[in-house]
Amino acid sequence: MINNAKAIVKVDSKDAKLSMAHFFVAFGALAIGGLMGLLQTLVRSGKFELPFGIGYYQILTAHGVLMGLVLTTFFIMGFQYAAVSRTAGPHSSAARRTGWTGFWMMTAGTLMSGTMILLNEASVLYTFYAPLKAHWIFYLGLTFVVVGSWVDGIAQIMTYAKWRKNHPGVPSPLLSFMAVINTVLWIVATLGVAATVLFQLLPWSLGLVDTVDVLVSRTLFWYFGHPLVYFWLLPAYMCWYAVVPKIIGGKIFSDSLARLSFILFLLFSIPVGFHHQLTEPGIDPAWKFFQVILTFMVVIPSLMTAFSLFATFERYGRSKGATGILGWFKVLPWNDARFIVPFIGMAAFIPAGAGGIINASNQMDQVVHNTIWVTGHFHLTAATSVILTFFGISYWLIPHLTGRKLTKKMNKLGIIQAWVWFIGMAFMSGSMHIQGLLGGPRRSSFSTYGDSKQALEWIPYQIAQAVGGTILFIGIILVLVIFINLAFFAPKGDEEFPVGEAENSEERAPMVFENWKLWLGILTALILFAYTIPFIDIIQNAPPGSKGFRTW
Amino acid sequence: MAKVELKAKQNTEIEDRSSLKGTMASVLFLLLFIIVSWLGVYYLFVDRF
Repeated sequence: MINNAKAIVKVDSKDAKLSMAHFFVAFGALAIGGLMGLLQTLVRSGKFELPFGIGYYQILTAHGVLMGLVLTTFFIMGFQYAAVSRTAGPHSSAARRTGWTGFWMMTAGTLMSGTMILLNEASVLYTFYAPLKAHWIFYLGLTFVVVGSWVDGIAQIMTYAKWRKNHPGVPSPLLSFMAVINTVLWIVATLGVAATVLFQLLPWSLGLVDTVDVLVSRTLFWYFGHPLVYFWLLPAYMCWYAVVPKIIGGKIFSDSLARLSFILFLLFSIPVGFHHQLTEPGIDPAWKFFQVILTFMVVIPSLMTAFSLFATFERYGRSKGATGILGWFKVLPWNDARFIVPFIGMAAFIPAGAGGIINASNQMDQVVHNTIWVTGHFHLTAATSVILTFFGISYWLIPHLTGRKLTKKMNKLGIIQAWVWFIGMAFMSGSMHIQGLLGGPRRSSFSTYGDSKQALEWIPYQIAQAVGGTILFIGIILVLVIFINLAFFAPKGDEEFPVGEAENSEERAPMVFENWKLWLGILTALILFAYTIPFIDIIQNAPPGSKGFRTW
Repeated sequence: MAKVELKAKQNTEIEDRSSLKGTMASVLFLLLFIIVSWLGVYYLFVDRF
């Protein structure tokens, strides 16, 4: 693996084009979705009303779909496509064609769904829970995004399979292995959302059937919804495990540990959707309990990751002569945007992860369920840990792909951007967490709820969210300036695509990690065990279906 | 005198490059953070329900 990584240092220029195409859509979504986020926080402060009859729930849907579904999926596919090309060799022309087909399907789907949101035909939020009913083109657009991402992901799998065929008995390059784990996780997870959209929501929105089974639809959504967050997170972990060690000049603590943690994420992030439905009537508590246990299993690879990263940093620091318990912390390269931007993301994952354990605990879920605490939580996980890492990746990957250099000026602006983001998010997510603990609801426009005493207590926190949202929007402008500079204006040159090496060069990952029959078999068994009986229950004891509602 | 020299030598050996003491301290801090936040919200649950 190591020899191979050394031999191929540059992403093939044809592969670079496809990756960049993904990033243009991703950063375009960030620009529009970010503006929608700013408007939301301003409306919720109670000091601002949207002009021209634009609805709060319309911009909330646009924000969620663009940031949570479009930005993430396009960035991840673009990054993984480049990572596989860099570590397993250039994609074949067949894989490249497959990748472009997936990209255009996803783009067409994004335009379809986006247009319906803009026309106010789909203000159903990014979770599109039935019985809220959107225009059928919105659901068809989402289908195109999901199916397109499968096709896009297959391109990566084709190149991985080719590498494996050419290197029998050798563990695949770490970054390629991780990219394929995440693609497989995505394909298995999206089967749930594809099922509800194709068999329930599309026929219902087309008028072919009158009613929809809400609980079946929500259960299929959350079968997808939880692994979705791991689909966002694993590319960030790819950077933390396999790229950051190279950037700081250190080594990957253990290649095998990294692979094992990815396999555990694949196994334990899918059969756990019920922890999003703990307050849902109609699901047997025993099965909720079982899925909560599986949820807590995800703590294991998460803490393995934390341990491994601390160990990488400490080993590097000590090799530079650092002493004492935390002396290594000081010698890390704090002036390198490629390190500090993802590092702030890692630090944010400490409160984010702790919050996640609280959310998944049945009793505590009753304290925070459907409150804005949850919104605060996923703005720490997805909108800080994940997105700051994606920004950090962009700062070397975009110039690498465009044949340019990250200048000192842009490096400095990148660091400023990350601190602006950190401060903005501390205000916004922090006040969301507190307001949630005081009972403030999520997914709701500004209201004083008839001037009730409790609702009036929330308003100062909503103003703090508007302050935080404004600072974050400045952060978005900064990152767009950097992106445009790196894509079009930065000086020509060679920016490195850093790929870490394992500390112990003798270490060879066990081949069992690449035994897909085994892991997919265990995954299927876990999913069937966690879902079959409760699903039969849900269908057999279903109440009458619901007609569609348009609340906007 | 000889004894003092021996002690000094032992001290330098403790600061060994492969030490993961800082990692241990950091993961223990994580554990503490998780427990304190969990108990904080658990207290709210007990107090309210």
